[in-house]
Amino acid sequence: MSEILTINNLKVWFHTRRGTFKALNGVNLNLRKGEVLGLAGESGSGKSTLGLSIMALLPSNAIIVRGSKIILKNRDYLKYFELFPEEKIDRKFKIKKNQKIMKHIRDFLAKIRGKEVSMVFQEPMTALNPLLQIGYQITEALLAHSSINLAKRILSRINLTEDDVREILKIVKSSKNVEKDLNEFSKLKKLDGIEDQVLYILNRKDLSTIRKERMIYSLKEKMKNPLTMSYLKKIAENKSIGIYRFLNRIPILKRYLKGVLIKEGYRKAIELLAMLNIPHAEKVVYMYPHELSGGMRQRVSIAIALANNPDIIILDEPTSALDVIVQYQILQLISELKYKLNISFIFISHDLSVLAEVCDRIAIMYGGRIVEIGPIDKIFYESLHPYTKGLLRAIPKISKDIKTIESIPGTVPDMRNPPNGCMFHPRCPYVMDVCRNKVPKSIEYSKDHFVECFLYGE
Amino acid sequence: MKLWLYIIRRILLIIPTLIGLTIIVFILIHVRGNNLIIAEYLNPHLTGAARDYAIQQLYQRFHLNDPLFIQYFYWLYQVINGDLGLTRTPIYSGPVNTALALFYPNTIMLALVSSILIWIIGIPIGVWSAVKRDSVFDQSTRVATFTLYAMPAYMVYLLVLIIFAVYLKWFPISGAVDPLLLQGVSWYVNGISYPTHIIFIDALLHGDINIALNSIWHFILPSLGIALGGVAGIIRLLRSSMLEVLDQDYIRMARSKGISESEVINIHARRNALIPAVTSFVYGVAGLLGGVVVAEVIFNIPGVGYWTVQALLNNDAGGILGSTLIFGIILVTASLILDIIYAALDPRVRY
Amino acid sequence: MSKNIGLIGRRNYLLKQNPRIEELKISFKIFFTNPTAVAGFVITLLYFIDIILVQFFPSFIGISDPNRYIYNFNNPVPLPPSSSHWCGTTAGGIDLCDAIIKSIRIDLIYSLFIVIVGAIIGLLLGLVSGYLGGIFDEILMRITDIFFSIPYLVLAIAILFVLGVSLENIAFSLIIVWWPLYARYARAQTLSIKQMTFIESAKASGTRDLMIMFKHIVPNVLPPIFVQISLDLGTVVGVFATLAFIGFSPTANIPELGYLTSLGLNYISIAPWSVIIPGLVITVFALAVNLMGDGLRDVIDPKRRSV
Repeated sequence: MSEILTINNLKVWFHTRRGTFKALNGVNLNLRKGEVLGLAGESGSGKSTLGLSIMALLPSNAIIVRGSKIILKNRDYLKYFELFPEEKIDRKFKIKKNQKIMKHIRDFLAKIRGKEVSMVFQEPMTALNPLLQIGYQITEALLAHSSINLAKRILSRINLTEDDVREILKIVKSSKNVEKDLNEFSKLKKLDGIEDQVLYILNRKDLSTIRKERMIYSLKEKMKNPLTMSYLKKIAENKSIGIYRFLNRIPILKRYLKGVLIKEGYRKAIELLAMLNIPHAEKVVYMYPHELSGGMRQRVSIAIALANNPDIIILDEPTSALDVIVQYQILQLISELKYKLNISFIFISHDLSVLAEVCDRIAIMYGGRIVEIGPIDKIFYESLHPYTKGLLRAIPKISKDIKTIESIPGTVPDMRNPPNGCMFHPRCPYVMDVCRNKVPKSIEYSKDHFVECFLYGE
Repeated sequence: MKLWLYIIRRILLIIPTLIGLTIIVFILIHVRGNNLIIAEYLNPHLTGAARDYAIQQLYQRFHLNDPLFIQYFYWLYQVINGDLGLTRTPIYSGPVNTALALFYPNTIMLALVSSILIWIIGIPIGVWSAVKRDSVFDQSTRVATFTLYAMPAYMVYLLVLIIFAVYLKWFPISGAVDPLLLQGVSWYVNGISYPTHIIFIDALLHGDINIALNSIWHFILPSLGIALGGVAGIIRLLRSSMLEVLDQDYIRMARSKGISESEVINIHARRNALIPAVTSFVYGVAGLLGGVVVAEVIFNIPGVGYWTVQALLNNDAGGILGSTLIFGIILVTASLILDIIYAALDPRVRY
Repeated sequence: MSKNIGLIGRRNYLLKQNPRIEELKISFKIFFTNPTAVAGFVITLLYFIDIILVQFFPSFIGISDPNRYIYNFNNPVPLPPSSSHWCGTTAGGIDLCDAIIKSIRIDLIYSLFIVIVGAIIGLLLGLVSGYLGGIFDEILMRITDIFFSIPYLVLAIAILFVLGVSLENIAFSLIIVWWPLYARYARAQTLSIKQMTFIESAKASGTRDLMIMFKHIVPNVLPPIFVQISLDLGTVVGVFATLAFIGFSPTANIPELGYLTSLGLNYISIAPWSVIIPGLVITVFALAVNLMGDGLRDVIDPKRRSV
């Protein structure tokens, strides 16, 4: 499997008045196409910071240390920036200059955010803007990156002829692989975007076949006014929209230009929501977040993350705030999406039992480093690092004999003055002298199973 | 549709407030004793028995021998029928109704223009000083708003007056319109303009652009003063609520979609930050109307506030009654409008 | 033996870290590391020193009659600031510096009176209605609603109409206007504290309502009310002076800042200092009190305390 994201020696620190908080201290990680990578660890181990660094959504006091590499689809996007080297981050650190660098990184990566990497946050209750309709919040993500697709979808409906519709119906009725044939058809006839709309109608479960056919017939749309048409064509051909940008500021014209795209965004949003098993999607898009339950809101967040077909979705504790049944539904949805869409997921959670449900590989984080990473069976049955072992023991099990839940003694280290050597040594039951002085290197213990511990290797 | 239902419910809810308002006005007028109420109606030339008889007649007319709460209902009936009594002040003597028609347009103009100015000045400055937190712009805004906030109302108006009217001479020092322009104008009789009583609008209706512009020119300075007095509070409030909003999860979510920073601020942050500003502007309106009273006195504008002060200084019950009532109604209406704006901004309150 | 150790341990504990004293120490530390708050505090203190001097030792700062302005009708037109009159003079030849030093006393004492009495009335009513709830609460809220339906300056004028115009009555009318604000605020605070678990545990252990109110709720409601008082003081001084400025100062010869400002009004185009300087004195006071109040708010803010 090809690697889609590689992180090398990533160090992210935070500048605070009471010292530098070293959240990430040299993270090495790779993510493969189409897998779900679990990221586990106690709170304060830096898992959320890792997710936010990939998105470049770090707060303004964050410092990315020179030498860090985040390589997304073979492009190292940190190499364009003059990062501060480790030794310069001291009392006389120039926080203002760093803030400028961080702002540049944030702005530079805006075009990647949502398009290639997107994120689902922990709190579904607060992650959606309470004042905007669900449909608008999804549309916004679409407008930011795929307005071309939206324009093409509208144009495809306008350019659709009676003959085309008949041909589509023939494909639908006779073809064995409807999806592939429809794709070929739309390429041939230059009707990009029509296939999604047809497939959406076909996949609906609440309609009879006759209704579906009638809906496919009614896809055909009338010509819009010339101004709107030329605007849509310009966008569809990815040409500069110079003057239209100005026209979009005029309230009445805006309805005919951007408004058309927004309306189309709502249509696409309905399709997305329906794909995520949300009932009455066509009503939900006009609702506000407070009218939906927590599980529904989390699905909406996932829909927003999926909107532009990203390569990677980072799920930051997506199920922690939900009750168990909804949690199960969301987990099922994620495994479904994994097979359907060939997207890579990073699933951040403190709960190993949740990760066990969906992940292919699991990485265990401690003190801003990945201490063990490997396939799910290896982590659960042949775990190596003392910390991983401790974590696994701390999962409560239903059995008659054991009444107590074991935990790992001690607490997460203060990352303002982290311990020397291995971060885990103050809490480690197998601590040796070498652990106190040297940072362990990553060792491939068995195939695809890496550990950072002096107990293994030479 | 739901917004309409909310508006109707909200309009019904002001009825108890209005009743409370009339009770308070009634108490204020009647607590000083009955002589003051009939004073305006009594012919001052009567003496002896004739005078006693006239007093008797007036007591009967106003039901002053009945218990207080029955008096209230008679009084309310009278008020609802539009009879607010008489007023006698140096600037106007006659029925309170006519006095209101004479004075309220100026007050409304002042209050409206200054609250529009407050929002026009306040929103962008408050939003920007939060977005550019700790920048030079933010720091200087904070110093300026803190100072303005601490100044007593009259001080702000006096400073504006000294700077723009005394030194720069850009604007007239006082008055609502140049009286020379109004000489021989057919729609302006006895200090009241017809048909709407608002000089600016009436002048436009009759095509007298000159008078309309002159009245605007007179209103700029007092409105600016009132706006400056009120804007500091709005800026401080908006800044802090904007800072709070910018920390919210949905802002991070919006950024994670890859939309531009200006869209994050204009679409996601600003509207959310405006909500607390709108709700607490209800108290701001009360302060603003107080400011109108002071500004009318300082700038010599014949409005309700000026009339109120004259009424108090001349022991005139009619004036106090009329002005308290009209100010209360303006404030209740303003808070109604703000509540509707709030509901339009925030879908959560419509339920 | 073990009992003895326990006692000694407890005594040491009391000597070393009485929690209240510790808390107080933290409060002082937070307040005095905030330079603007300290500046506000110092300026406020200066104003109060001025009051004490004028009240008790007028001759000490060279004031002959603290209750009256001294006119100089030989020179009734305002003079600009000079070496003989540091702040200039205003109408009637009154020396502004002398007048301001005298006037501060009246404004500040009345404002303090308004704020404190208003706060006490509001606190008591708000506390009871917040704690008891029910019909009492409903009635109080409706009453405050009615008070809020008239602009406070207009309401104060209307009450002055009932009471008759005098400085004392200005103060009374402002108390009547101001208490609903405190009542609302105290009620909101009480409601939020009532929700907390320690009140429930006190109730569960059988503490009486009155006891809970004074032992648990009042100590928690007081600090925010106190901060509110210090923030309001600036506003109230302004409103008090405004009422006096409009012309509700009954006898012309009481040294009061609003009235002093209005003296210069007729000369505004030739002697702007005669209105600017007295106005600035109030502004500076309000500014100082606000800065101090902001500092105090930080002191009681749990977010700031934990840092």
